[in-house]
Order: sequence, then C-alpha cells, then structure tokens
Amino acid sequence: MKAQSWLLASSFAVGSLAFGQSAFEAPKTPWGDPDLQGVYTTDDLNGVPMQRDAKYGTRRFLTEQELAERAKEVKAERTTIDTGVRPTTGFWALVKDGGVDAAAAPAQWIEYARHATELTSLVVDPPNGRIPPLTPEGEKRRAAQPKYYDMRPASWEDLSTYDRCITRGVTGSFFPSIYGNGSQIFQMPGEVAIRYEMIHETRIIPLDGRPHVSAGLRSYMGDPRGHFEGNTLVVETTNFIGGKVDVGGVPYSEDLKLTERFTRVAPDIIDYKITIDDPQTFTAPWTVEFPIRHEPGYQIFEYACHEGNHAMHNRLSAARALDRQEAAKAAQADSK
Amino acid sequence: MAAFAMVLAAVGLSAATPAVSKGRTFDGHPDLSGIWQSMSTANWDLQDHPAQAGPFFQLGAVGATPSGQGVVEGGEVPYKPDALKQKQENFKNRWKDDPEVKCYMAGIPRANYMPYPFQIVQTPQSILMTYEYASANRVINMSKTPVEASVDTWMGTANGHWEGDTLVVDNTGFNDESWFDRAGDFHSDQLHVLERFTLIDSDHMNYEATIEDSQVFTRPWKISLPLYRNIAKNAQLTEFKCVEFAEELLYGDVRRKAK
Repeated sequence: MKAQSWLLASSFAVGSLAFGQSAFEAPKTPWGDPDLQGVYTTDDLNGVPMQRDAKYGTRRFLTEQELAERAKEVKAERTTIDTGVRPTTGFWALVKDGGVDAAAAPAQWIEYARHATELTSLVVDPPNGRIPPLTPEGEKRRAAQPKYYDMRPASWEDLSTYDRCITRGVTGSFFPSIYGNGSQIFQMPGEVAIRYEMIHETRIIPLDGRPHVSAGLRSYMGDPRGHFEGNTLVVETTNFIGGKVDVGGVPYSEDLKLTERFTRVAPDIIDYKITIDDPQTFTAPWTVEFPIRHEPGYQIFEYACHEGNHAMHNRLSAARALDRQEAAKAAQADSK
Repeated sequence: MAAFAMVLAAVGLSAATPAVSKGRTFDGHPDLSGIWQSMSTANWDLQDHPAQAGPFFQLGAVGATPSGQGVVEGGEVPYKPDALKQKQENFKNRWKDDPEVKCYMAGIPRANYMPYPFQIVQTPQSILMTYEYASANRVINMSKTPVEASVDTWMGTANGHWEGDTLVVDNTGFNDESWFDRAGDFHSDQLHVLERFTLIDSDHMNYEATIEDSQVFTRPWKISLPLYRNIAKNAQLTEFKCVEFAEELLYGDVRRKAK
C-alpha cells in the first residue's frame, strides 16, 4: 500500500528504462554479492497491458507524445481514486462487475500509478509483445478454468486460487495488480529471500547450488534456485503444482519453469525479467520485463486475505439463494 | 565427539568470547539465520497437560493430543476472573474455534512454537521470519527509527534491537483473534509481546516471550522454551498452505448439495 507518497512522483525521470547506458555502478553487499535489497512496488505498472496493442507493432516504448497521454490518464485515475470513485479508464475499464450493481472493490482498496510508465506492454518477447499461441491442451485448460464472474459457483472449487486466498503463484504475486504490489528483497551470504505483499508469500532462494527437490515435492510457489551472473540474480523455479494457478490467462502445467533475472539499474530501480517456459501450455517460451521501483514511504502491509475472506461465504450463500429461487420457479411451473 | 569438545571449549571461553561456534554475521551479531522449530507441546497447551483423545475416534492415536510439560514460568497463566471463564469456554469449543483449525495466521508468540518450522533471514536493517504454517511471515524492523503499528494485524508490528547477544523484539498492533495454543489461551487487541532470542550454541536457541495484556491478565507473564535448528544438509522450508484443508469446514454450509 502506498503511504502519501505520490507527491514525490516528479522525481521519477522519464526514460527510466534506458538501462545500462549510464555509468551507474551497482552496489555490493559486504560479502560481495550485487545488492538488490529493499522494498519495491510495481504500482506504476498499473495501466500497462500484459499484451501489446497491435498498433505498436514491435515497439516496446511509448513516444513522448503517447507518454504524455498516458500521464494524463494516470493523473485522472489518481484524482478519481483520491475522491473515492472507482476509475473507468485504462486498466479499470477492463474490470467488470458481472452485471450486478456492485463494485469489484471500493475505491480506497485500489492502487494506482504514481508515475506514467513508457512500456507498451509487459510482454517483451516474442517481439510483438503477444503471448504465443496455446497448445491444444493449454486451450482446453483455459476453457475449463474457473470464471471470476461466475455468479452461481457450486462451491469454492469453481473459483480461482486468488478468490480462495490460497495463492496467486510466483507471477501473480509480482505482476502489477489492483493492490498488494509491494515486494521486499533480503540477502544473506548464500541466500536471497523475497517477500510479496500479495497474500503474504515468501520465497527463500538458496544460492548454494543444491539440486531441486524431487518431482514428489511440488508446491504453489515452486522450488527456486539462484545464482549471480555478473550483477544479475538469476532464479530458476520448478516443481510447481500444475493446473490450478494461471499465468497469462491460463492455468500452467506442472512442467512450468520460470527463469527470473533481477538487475539493479539505478539506485531505486531493479529491472525484472521473467521467462515463462511451459511446453504443455504454450507453443513457445515468452518473456515479461518491467522495472520495480523503490518508493520512499511505500510500506508493505499484512494482507490477511483468507482470514478476511467474507466474500467467499457471501458469494456462495448468494449462489444458493439463486438456486432456491430457480427451484421455486421450477416448482411453480410444474404445479401449473 | 569432536563437535562436543568444541562446544565445551566454546563454553569454557565464554567469559572472553560468546559461546557461539557457528559464528557471527558480518556486522558482528550472533547469526540466528536458519530453519528453527520447537520440540515442545506448547502449541497444544502452554501449561502442563496430560495426553488426551482427539475429537474424532476415526483418527485413533494419530488424532490424539500428546502430553507435555508447560512452558509458562511459574506454571499458571494469570487470567482475570472473567477472562479465565472465557478461556475455559474456548477450551470446550477448541476443535471449532481455534484459529488454527481455520488456517488463520498464528500470531506471535504462537507461530514460533507450532509443530512447523520457520526460517530466519537476518540482515542489519530488518530480520525476516517466515513460517511454514499458512505461509505467514513478519519483518522485524531493526533500524533506529521504530515503526508504529498503523493497523491491527495477525502477526503484529515488530521493532527489534540487540541487547548484547540477545535479539529483543517488541511487538504491538495485534488484533484480538489469534490464540496462544489449541487449549483456548487467548488475548485482546491490547496484547504486547516482548520476545528474546538468545543462541545457546550454534544449533540451539532460547526463546522467551513476555506477554502483557491488562484486559485479560492480572500481570505480565512469561514463556520460555528452546528452539532447535534443522541441521539436515538439504533442509529447506516447504509449503503448508492450509486454506484448502479448511474450506469444507468454513464454507460447507453454502456448497451446492448433490441432489
């Protein structure tokens, strides 16, 4: 969650993604590893679509004029949220309420960008910024996945692991979202830990070269192993539970392999790059890249998602009321 | 035998150097990093308790409560009279009302003595404690500027400092929903927990928590128990996301029944 910090927004220079061209020297920990530690947020990526609009072609960044347009949109969203109204532009235009007269979330729950970001999409490879076609099996899995706006779930099993407050997985915990976009990196000799605000996840990443656990031990957050390549932390994660958590709109399989690269490119910015490789689901690997930013005043709060998941009981209870209504109608029709 | 001799040597040297054979972090503090777990039965009951049958005969011995010695200094938790009645009520309803049954976060101190391990990641500015049970975690602020609790939470707001070789953690900002054990020991949102983590040797540490809550207890009281390092070569925290194990219990009443 933000803490009164967007006033500092103007200090964020346009063109922050022109990485690697400055004389920036990455700091080191006292034991000599590149120092990635700190609290970061992806709030500024709100409004950047996962997949690129065809009109941008293979262009990764907005022009100056396009960026100015997005900055206007960001400001307008910020204003509506600050006045307690849920915005209807940008990312928010995609948030529908399933046809009922209720908002998905009240305005004060919602995070927004404090700085306009010049990315045209989160996906950077393939070069057109589009997720590669699914395999036939991936298509099947996508069609069968729980619908967020299912108004008549028979049980919690018809809802996503996010609705159920189980997990959003590695990508869902980190990719920009409506809230909970904070992360914190800790380092010790031989170990990196990443804590995510979203559903209070933690990943402990050993750097000691140990092998992955066996296929018999699978988990939602997977089994990460890390090493440094120059100033970049490279993390490979496998051993996922398949078929339950989505990436790019489709539940991934247990063969998912994630390769992440964390590189500090400015005192307050880490370039994050992740390659999603799941041959059971996607016809080719694809890569997402975006900056995560340290923002003074940003604090990570406890997201007691499951503990406060009144929505689950309420939704199921409402669905049962609809069931009863339908049964009553049917009984009435029968008696005629 | 060699390791034993080394421990003895270290203890012998304790006047001059701390009795820590594992060594220290680069900034000179005892290295608490690693995977730790209690061997006590405090999670079943903080006080002395006999073995008892579990709630479901189908589980037989597997579902039973092990007996164990208490970890409360002086033996008794000093409840106010009304609070004691509440605790007894909680005990009666423990298989239904214990937040652990529902896979809710354990709070502090309970998270530290559940029958699941937790991992400490120690840095100078902050110390991460991450718990296998329910993927809960907390970050202890070690900077000179204390963090104030801005909202009540399950895991609290933690500020730490070193007193010699002891990590002292001051915890406030708790909600009133967590319990201390499966026996119904509870607290209000006025809970204040002062923890002390002290290495005994490289693989053992003493854990103390002083519990203060004037709405529930007549005076502050203290628990004390050792924590053991997981020394397995391939030790790593695994995942215990328990929401799925509690959903039928929590939402079964609004599931569509088979016709």
